[in-house]
Amino acid sequence: MSPADLIPILLTLAWLAPLAGCVATWVVGKITIERSSKLPAWIAIGAMAISLNLVMIAAGFWWQFAASGQYGLPPASGSPLSGTYYTLGEFGSLNLTLDYYIDSLTILMFGVITLIATAVHVYSVAYIKDGHPDDAVEDHPQPTVPELSPLAAIHDAQPTEYSPQLPRFFAQLQFFTFAMLGLILAGNLLQVFVFWELVGAASYFLIGFHFERPHAAAAATKAFLFNRVGDAGFVIGIVFFLTFFGQLSFGERTVKIGYAGQSVEGTDPGILTANASGIFESRPDEFRKFGWLTTVPEARSSPKRWMFVFAGLCLFAGCVGKSAQLPLSTWLPDAMAGPTPVSALVHSATMVAAGVYLVGRVYPLFLPEVLLVIAYVGAITLVYGATCAVVQTDLKRILAYSTISQLGYMMLAMGVGGREAGLFHLVTHAFFKSLLFLAAGSVIVACHHVQDVSRLGGLRKRMPITAYTSLVGVIAIAGLAIPLIAPFGEAIALSGYHSKDSILAAALSFAKQNPAHGLLFALPLVTAGLTAFYMFRFWLLAFAGEPRDEELHRHVHESSPLMTAPLVLLAIFAAFCAIGGEHGPLFETIAETAVSPSPPLPLSHSADIHGTASLWGLLAATIGAAAALAAYGAGLVDMKRSIAFFGPIRGFFASGWRLDALYRMLFVRPLEFLAFCGSLFDRFVLDGVLHGVSRLTLAVARFDRTFDERVVDGLVNRIAMLTYDTGLSLRQVQSGRLRQYVMALAAAAVVLFALAVVLIPKMT
Amino acid sequence: MTFERLLDDLIRDTVHVSLPAFIAELIVCATIVILLLGRLFGTDRIVTPRWVAIVGATLAFAASIGQFGEVFASGRSPIEHTALFTGLLIHDPLTVYMRILLCGFLVLMTWLTAVSGIPDREDGPDFHTLLFGSTLGALLMAQSNNLLMLFLAVEMTSVPGYVLVGFQKGRRQSGEAALKYLVYGAGAAGVLLYGTSLVAGTLGTASLAEIAMRMPSVVGINAGPLASPAERTIVLGSLFIFAGLAFKLALVPFHFWCPDAFEGASAEIAGFLSVAPKAAAFALLVRVVQSLFGADSGPIEDLRHAFGIGLAVVSALTMTLGNLAAFGQSNVKRLFAYSTIAHAGYLLMGVAAWMVAGGEAGLRGLEGLFYYLAVYVFMNLGAFAIIAIIRNATFSEEIDDYAGLWARMPIVCGGMAVCCLSLIGIWPAGGFIGKFMVFAASLSAGWVSPVMWALVAAAAINTVWSLFYYARVLRAMYLESPTDSDRLEEIEASPFANALVLALTIPVLLLGVFVEPLSRVTAFVARSIVG
Repeated sequence: MSPADLIPILLTLAWLAPLAGCVATWVVGKITIERSSKLPAWIAIGAMAISLNLVMIAAGFWWQFAASGQYGLPPASGSPLSGTYYTLGEFGSLNLTLDYYIDSLTILMFGVITLIATAVHVYSVAYIKDGHPDDAVEDHPQPTVPELSPLAAIHDAQPTEYSPQLPRFFAQLQFFTFAMLGLILAGNLLQVFVFWELVGAASYFLIGFHFERPHAAAAATKAFLFNRVGDAGFVIGIVFFLTFFGQLSFGERTVKIGYAGQSVEGTDPGILTANASGIFESRPDEFRKFGWLTTVPEARSSPKRWMFVFAGLCLFAGCVGKSAQLPLSTWLPDAMAGPTPVSALVHSATMVAAGVYLVGRVYPLFLPEVLLVIAYVGAITLVYGATCAVVQTDLKRILAYSTISQLGYMMLAMGVGGREAGLFHLVTHAFFKSLLFLAAGSVIVACHHVQDVSRLGGLRKRMPITAYTSLVGVIAIAGLAIPLIAPFGEAIALSGYHSKDSILAAALSFAKQNPAHGLLFALPLVTAGLTAFYMFRFWLLAFAGEPRDEELHRHVHESSPLMTAPLVLLAIFAAFCAIGGEHGPLFETIAETAVSPSPPLPLSHSADIHGTASLWGLLAATIGAAAALAAYGAGLVDMKRSIAFFGPIRGFFASGWRLDALYRMLFVRPLEFLAFCGSLFDRFVLDGVLHGVSRLTLAVARFDRTFDERVVDGLVNRIAMLTYDTGLSLRQVQSGRLRQYVMALAAAAVVLFALAVVLIPKMT
Repeated sequence: MTFERLLDDLIRDTVHVSLPAFIAELIVCATIVILLLGRLFGTDRIVTPRWVAIVGATLAFAASIGQFGEVFASGRSPIEHTALFTGLLIHDPLTVYMRILLCGFLVLMTWLTAVSGIPDREDGPDFHTLLFGSTLGALLMAQSNNLLMLFLAVEMTSVPGYVLVGFQKGRRQSGEAALKYLVYGAGAAGVLLYGTSLVAGTLGTASLAEIAMRMPSVVGINAGPLASPAERTIVLGSLFIFAGLAFKLALVPFHFWCPDAFEGASAEIAGFLSVAPKAAAFALLVRVVQSLFGADSGPIEDLRHAFGIGLAVVSALTMTLGNLAAFGQSNVKRLFAYSTIAHAGYLLMGVAAWMVAGGEAGLRGLEGLFYYLAVYVFMNLGAFAIIAIIRNATFSEEIDDYAGLWARMPIVCGGMAVCCLSLIGIWPAGGFIGKFMVFAASLSAGWVSPVMWALVAAAAINTVWSLFYYARVLRAMYLESPTDSDRLEEIEASPFANALVLALTIPVLLLGVFVEPLSRVTAFVARSIVG
């Protein structure tokens, strides 16, 4: 069996292992009597470990043989392996299939997801306790029973028959992993959509994991609804592309093309080879090559350009919802109501990055106009996220807004033609942001669910591993590096520096070619400084300085090894995964999947652009970091005074640009007003009519009753009496006297004969 | 042709043709013999007679089912109208259809007697001998091809019936009913015998097939109807034969025996008498009509038409009287006795429609009649079986004592509801389909004679009327609260009884929902009669 056959099998197994784990976890959780049993968790971790191992083996095959082109594997060009698992249905020329599509991006994403998922799984064992998990208590303790200690209130609040949470949590986590891997492995757009929805559902379950808390349930619903808005666009986009191409498959496939009664076998190159720009620039008839358009050449004219722009925007709308870009961004901060490991896995590293992934995957389908929109959406979002993150005081909300901002970076990179840079940042961000979330979770557990940074501080002494691993993450995301020195030809920098540099270079290159869009470079540059500022603010407030709450601080201690080990692991990856920058293995791997034909917006990665971009970026980051150090490290700024000083602006940013209020005004209020009008209409018009009708009915019924009783009943009774009397009189005929009977018999025979003799001649 | 040759032919014909086709009846006969021998040798103390009866009935049923395949499965060519036993009997689709109905009915009947225990162990052989004897008579009625056989079969059905009515030896009422039935039956037999002798004497043959051939030579030779004495004799004879059959069918005005006999007999016997002889008599009526008036000549068709209208009038009278009389009844068994009379009226509609309309339209009347008969077997026996089961539980047959029974016997009462719905003719019970078919046939016969429309109108009004007295039973069961709730506490239906009720009522519903299969069969049977 050649690796080309083996890799799909390995990845399929790696994909299905979490599903099996999900089922097993659930079943074991149902039948395990011991509430505190960790068995389901270890089953889930086992499934993840299997999955991770399979992915590593597959990756080994891929990189070992891809370079040499041996054993039937494609050469290093990154041409993908694709195939079909199962045909769901055929409708004319339309095939609905379950496909797989494997290229180096798929393998890379598999590796990242399974690695982080495994780390999060292990971490969660310590984080989610048994039936009374610490986390299940309150992320935001509500002093409902002030006279009792918090712990007592917790135990009071828990119903005694509380279902064990651990199996449910792990089953859902496994389910999410399964869905996420399925999304990556999917070989056509429809399949992507299916798993897209499944990860959405898993996200809904996990955000609402503590569904007994109203704010968690509401946050889950909110996330779900926001995603629906984007997904509506996604579906429209899919249908558009289906109409254009007649199919949705990414990879090559053999198809039968029927035309004029003849059936010809041909190779359909898949939608990704259809370069949207190319179609409109050089080969307007290119469409006819694809799918069923061939079968009815005269039936359809080639699509208009604006339609293609529209379709691309629709597809992008799905990504906007999933990746929490403006204007569909406000669900993500609220999604922090979920348990922290969930935030680490789902809402920073993997699911929210799926939007970016999808843009990268179907990149050739986007026309330059669409890409420009993507770039601006990303640019505005990254500013939005960063400005909001600066003023948050909740540990997890800082990270959530930071995630929005970073996703904005990725989108920006996509938009300006830096597809590889965007995906590059996706991977590095996945590591350092999941690291930061897990570290935040560690702090939250240690501090008994105090998440307010203004009450923390000085934690580095009590929990050094958490503190310094998260410092790695902070430096990585801030993009700090030591400039101009490059021992062994290697910049002294962590992963974030490389990926952000790559994005800035792409943006600068774009801005140079299109000076009108200079903002697309200026915004990320300024925001790089903001990023460094708020991330250092995060770290300094939480870990540095002196404790602000002694009472709290006294009980703090480092988390268990089950939690710190994933931190260390992720810290290593966060630090070194991007080693070598744009010439390192990670970037090369991504670049292997460079879509062909090359991106419609040519980029020049000349050294001077790179140099300029990295210097500017580094400068911004350093200024930001220095400002943070000055403000929070050296204590030059008093927090209370600064809050008072920046009051209104701060409020604006803290509330996420008041978007929620805006949406409330724009959508919720009108809807409520409409509902109010509806209820008024209901109450006064419909109910009035109804009451009128019922009154009328009543009146008619009264009349009816009178009529019934007097006339009908009278008549019926009269008839009934008549009938009854007749019946009784017939009974008298039935006298029981035998002589009469026999007489009647004889008489009847005679009379009948007489009648026959009289009547028959008349009748015939 | 020597005598020896004749004898050889006779033996060959009997052994190779007649006896194999006659297998179900032979099994019934054998069962009777075994029952009697068991009585003689005392083996009935070892083997319960009811088991012998059940096994015998089941075997007969199985044998008749076996013939179903050979007749209907091919579905294409009707089997030959094979004359059996030198032309005394006939073996055709109607024979097989009725045989299946009657043998199936016999199975259910023996099951019912086993459940209700009406013959005790001591009386078992006698009771079952009589039951099987009467059924054998009914089987012969359905296939008789000769006036002599007709008379013998009717008597064979009736005589055990007389005894069965009076079987409850201790009851004075029972003995009186039997006597009335017997005397009335004797009178009717006299009329029937007189009629057959007139017909046979005039035409010089007793064979129904021969009669059909000779009728044109007698009827309509002289100008004008009933002009010749021979024709008048034939009409008189036919009339008397009809009168004799009308006695078996309890048609007005030959119904007087029916309520008395039913009230005197136990509910099981009433159920038997209301179904088996009636079904057979309808088959026989169809055969006699086809023989007397089936010929393809104008005057005979006129005659058939006239007799058809007469039957329509009788039918309207019968259903009206049956329903009216049922109104005043407070005894459930008597109520259902009158209901039975009314139903004979509805069934007769099918025959009347056939005779009036003739041709294709007429066939639909016959088709409806046969379908209705199949439903009737289940719904009427079901009703009487439920009366018997409730009687065993409550020792009462009064409607008032049915109050609130449903809580104690849900399945039995549910069965009663289905039977009543079916008897009224409400979908999805099968009675609706049967009624629908005969109504439809009568409606289309109305184009020939508007009397049929009047008949349909009368039948429709009767159907509405009948709702009231059937509903009384259901109202008592379901809506009224029991007067004496303590008494109800101990009431319970045995599982066997419940199973029987289900076996009787589920087919009623099935026949109402899946109409196609049986209606195909009945259409085939009807077509085979007219040939």
